[in-house]
Amino acid sequence: MSLPMLALLAGLLAACSPREEEPAAGALPRVQLALNWFPEAEHGGFYAARVHGLYEARGVDVDILGGGPDAPVIQRVATGEVAFGVTNADDVLYARARQAPVVALMASYQVNPRCIMVHRASGIEEIGRIEGITLAMSQRPAYSHYLRWKYPFKDVRIVPYPGNVTRFLMDEDFAQQGYVTSEPFVARARGADPRALLVADIGFNPYATVLVASEATIAGNPGLVAAVVGGSVEGWEKYLEDPGPTNRRIHALNPEMSLEVLAYGAEASTPLVLDAVAREKGIGAMTLERWRELCSQMSDAGLIEAEEVAVEAAFTLRFLP
Amino acid sequence: MQRLLALASGGLPPLLFFLLVLCAWQGAVTLFDIKPFLLPGPLLVARAAAENLPRLLSAALLTAVGALLGLCLSLAFGFLVSLLFSQSRLIERSLYPYAIFLQTVPIVAVAPLIVLWIGYGLPGVVAVAFILSLFPVIANTTAGLTRVDPRLLDLFALNNASRWQVLFRLRVPGAVPQMLTGARISSGLSVIGAIVGEFFAGYGTRDFGLGYLIILTNGQARTDYLFACILFCTLLGLSIFTAVGALSGFLLRRWTGTTN
Repeated sequence: MSLPMLALLAGLLAACSPREEEPAAGALPRVQLALNWFPEAEHGGFYAARVHGLYEARGVDVDILGGGPDAPVIQRVATGEVAFGVTNADDVLYARARQAPVVALMASYQVNPRCIMVHRASGIEEIGRIEGITLAMSQRPAYSHYLRWKYPFKDVRIVPYPGNVTRFLMDEDFAQQGYVTSEPFVARARGADPRALLVADIGFNPYATVLVASEATIAGNPGLVAAVVGGSVEGWEKYLEDPGPTNRRIHALNPEMSLEVLAYGAEASTPLVLDAVAREKGIGAMTLERWRELCSQMSDAGLIEAEEVAVEAAFTLRFLP
Repeated sequence: MQRLLALASGGLPPLLFFLLVLCAWQGAVTLFDIKPFLLPGPLLVARAAAENLPRLLSAALLTAVGALLGLCLSLAFGFLVSLLFSQSRLIERSLYPYAIFLQTVPIVAVAPLIVLWIGYGLPGVVAVAFILSLFPVIANTTAGLTRVDPRLLDLFALNNASRWQVLFRLRVPGAVPQMLTGARISSGLSVIGAIVGEFFAGYGTRDFGLGYLIILTNGQARTDYLFACILFCTLLGLSIFTAVGALSGFLLRRWTGTTN
């Protein structure tokens, strides 16, 4: 892709992304990893690998670029503008359905942290039983369309996600999306009594915080890919063990994230990253069954055509340690 | 017949240019093998528009309702504010800067607050469309009401006209062309306002405006469908602009015997 327009776009995007300070590295090959959101606990493993020098130990210098709303991670990875990116499994399938050649390399979260947060006083204990209230969900991620497709949501008013918990605090008859690692903590700290209902519990569980690269990078530089995957997996191990130093780094990069929220995020992430499968097969593991299931769920909900996507090509296990 | 020919010769150059651009676009996409998730060709966009036509039409209709309600509100409210401004230099000087504030406020930053205060659904959408389209109405109507021929003012004074009579027999009729100019500028803005409003307010569970479709298709990397949405937004803005323009042409002919 050598169009001047793309180069311009890429330059603009690069200029907009918050960049980590330059490390005093020697002649190590330098690659960029683009995050899908501002630095937060859900990216802990990648920052831990930086903090503990795990990428350098494998002979690669990884420059982590913060993202934000609408960060076009997949597009940047697909065009080769950045070598690596972090996104979610549903976005990988969306991208593959649109002929964007990105491949998942490791899955940080076995259990997707996405939840619907309701007030405990509402008495609602299951997502399928949500009735007669306002429910704020973003229309971007696949889960919101899957839920709409799966449940009748009787007398539920589905509205756009407001981006914070202010209305939730004001309104007892209000439920909203969140990450179980963050929003419930914030709402509780501000005096609410929320209950978090994991979307994964109803069976829709795309791998989250998935490391991706383009098919070209994988074919052209497998050694580099192995180094970044290996460093990231070890980074997650380190982060779950001792998140303190990494959280201080994330807090320095994104002061909006208080150390308390980050500490809660790391603790709440542990069972989601290190579930039974990860304990057995190692952090980052993925299975064809899970990818197939996601593809058929997204197809059931009318989000993609199953035949548009070759699920086997959407991920690879060959770089996992 | 002559009129038709004139119309054709007037419409032909832009139409030819449009076709040329479409060909160049499709050619570039094919030649450079640009992947559809980056830039879909016009053929793909046309196909996405055709496949999703019912949804696009119903979304455009809903967005049109939000935009038109916001536009009507800003016309009514803007007219009243301008009447007030025209009555006193002091009031105008004290309040005008705040009207400019409406023009400069970053609507994307304020929209979530409006939704917080006014609520989700149509009222929130209308409120954002209203705020975005208000200033041109105030600015143009006020200018029309205050810039009156001094000789006509003298004439009214000589005949002992009351303040009301000056206002409704002289200032308001004289301001109609300016008011309609304001309405035309605001018509495009009201569509933008409604779409931004939909990003944040939505309409509820099963009703979708163009703003919703834009976020949806962007999130799913369906760039061809996204282009179709943008096309419909543009067409909607154009139709409202044309309708307001036609209406104002009709009114001006009846009012003053001239077209602006």
